[in-house]
Amino acid sequence: MADQKTLGERLAEHGVSRRAFVKYASWLGSLMALPPATSRAMAAELAKAKRQSVIWLSFQECTGCTESITRSKGPTLEDLIFDFISLDYHHTLQAASGEAIEAARHAAMAENKGKYVVVVDGSVPMKDGGIYSTTAGHSNYDTLMETVKDAFAVISVGTCACYGGIPKANPNPTGAVSIGDLVKDKPVINIPGCPPIPEAMTGTVAYILSFGKVPELDHLGRPKAFFGENIHDRCYRRPFYERGQFAHAFDDQGARDGWCLYELGCKGPVTYNACATMKWNGGVSFPIQSGHGCLGCSEPDFWDKGGFYVPLSGSIGPTAKLVGGAALAGAVAGVAAAAVARHRKSSLNKG
Amino acid sequence: MNADCGHPAPATSLADAVFAELAHALVRLAETGEETVVDLRSLPFGPSDLEALSEKLGTGEVTSTLEVAGRSEVRETGWAGIWWVRHFGDGDEIAAEEVHVTRIPEILVSHPDDVAFAARRMADAVVTTGPQEPTAADEEDMSRG
Repeated sequence: MADQKTLGERLAEHGVSRRAFVKYASWLGSLMALPPATSRAMAAELAKAKRQSVIWLSFQECTGCTESITRSKGPTLEDLIFDFISLDYHHTLQAASGEAIEAARHAAMAENKGKYVVVVDGSVPMKDGGIYSTTAGHSNYDTLMETVKDAFAVISVGTCACYGGIPKANPNPTGAVSIGDLVKDKPVINIPGCPPIPEAMTGTVAYILSFGKVPELDHLGRPKAFFGENIHDRCYRRPFYERGQFAHAFDDQGARDGWCLYELGCKGPVTYNACATMKWNGGVSFPIQSGHGCLGCSEPDFWDKGGFYVPLSGSIGPTAKLVGGAALAGAVAGVAAAAVARHRKSSLNKG
Repeated sequence: MNADCGHPAPATSLADAVFAELAHALVRLAETGEETVVDLRSLPFGPSDLEALSEKLGTGEVTSTLEVAGRSEVRETGWAGIWWVRHFGDGDEIAAEEVHVTRIPEILVSHPDDVAFAARRMADAVVTTGPQEPTAADEEDMSRG
């Protein structure tokens, strides 16, 4: 609920000094490649900021995004974000239920009019009047449009909210659409992934909280700080690709020697995400490091791209021909594939 | 590229480049007071490069450990005004690593707002720990002698 104390005052009451902001801003500034002066400003602004009211709506989703963002082991740097936000509504984490929690959502909207942030995970079913997913007797569409009305910004977390995701996979039985398809009069920030990297979610919220504005986004609405680079370009297995050393099966010698997984269907060359650099579970590993190709889960329609184990050169669509040729030629494939992917996603988005 | 395998990768010239950059930054600090921060995580350092830079910078008189949302270490290098700062996150992994060119890194200084808050709390503590009326238990002890 609304709270007039600054974040600095709140943490001080819990025996934590303003040093926490200096540390948090250093960490986040490093992740987002912000100039050091900006990190410093961020520390000062965070200490002065009020808690950010966040209303989290869950639609057609699996709750994996919530699992990802809450996956911290102890009171550490990474979960300071939970001291910075007031999570006023969240189906999985809220203690209240029924009319009480719906009243809490309306109260948060009224008290923080024009300032609250709506986080959405899950896509919205539009077929048959939206009956395939409802809460409190309302269709997801009605709940979304009512809640975003007075919001400052909307953050779509997970590929379902960003691009329709798995509910939208062929044959899309519920007529699922993305949040960006429906919300046109507010900034919509996409943090895709299945699930997204937790730091990409919390970092974006902290950025809004510190600077009162939306971070720079790419053509698919993703913060460039986290989605500006492609997995393939930053992959530690890239040298094997350059040398044409590919694993042909998951149990062959190439796989054992850590060679490139391109021929086993890795979608790294057409996928923009921070997995290869930030990694998962506190920097332990990421799918390719664990021996499996990238699924491309942060890209639109990743479920319908011809199969996870089909090489990009054998996938459907315009990517196939171009990348196939380039892959034989060697090094330029990544660049060509990425360029084609970018073009393709742009058209998809428009369509 | 594994520093533990007995054949560590040789250091590149990156450590030398950063060292030269820090030397210029230190001149600016000395002459104009301008501070600089170099984010080591943003540079394509290998373990040998970090070791090489650490060796060149050496160790000064101050080493401190902070417990604030996890552990942090602040170490003065052998060059006055150049500090090595490491922040640890979940699982004691290094979350941020920086070299600060400053008289004292900001994170060591008590923030004015924290000082003001502590002053209010301490004033309250003086009042509550002052002379108090004897309790019934105290009087009983006294009567027993």
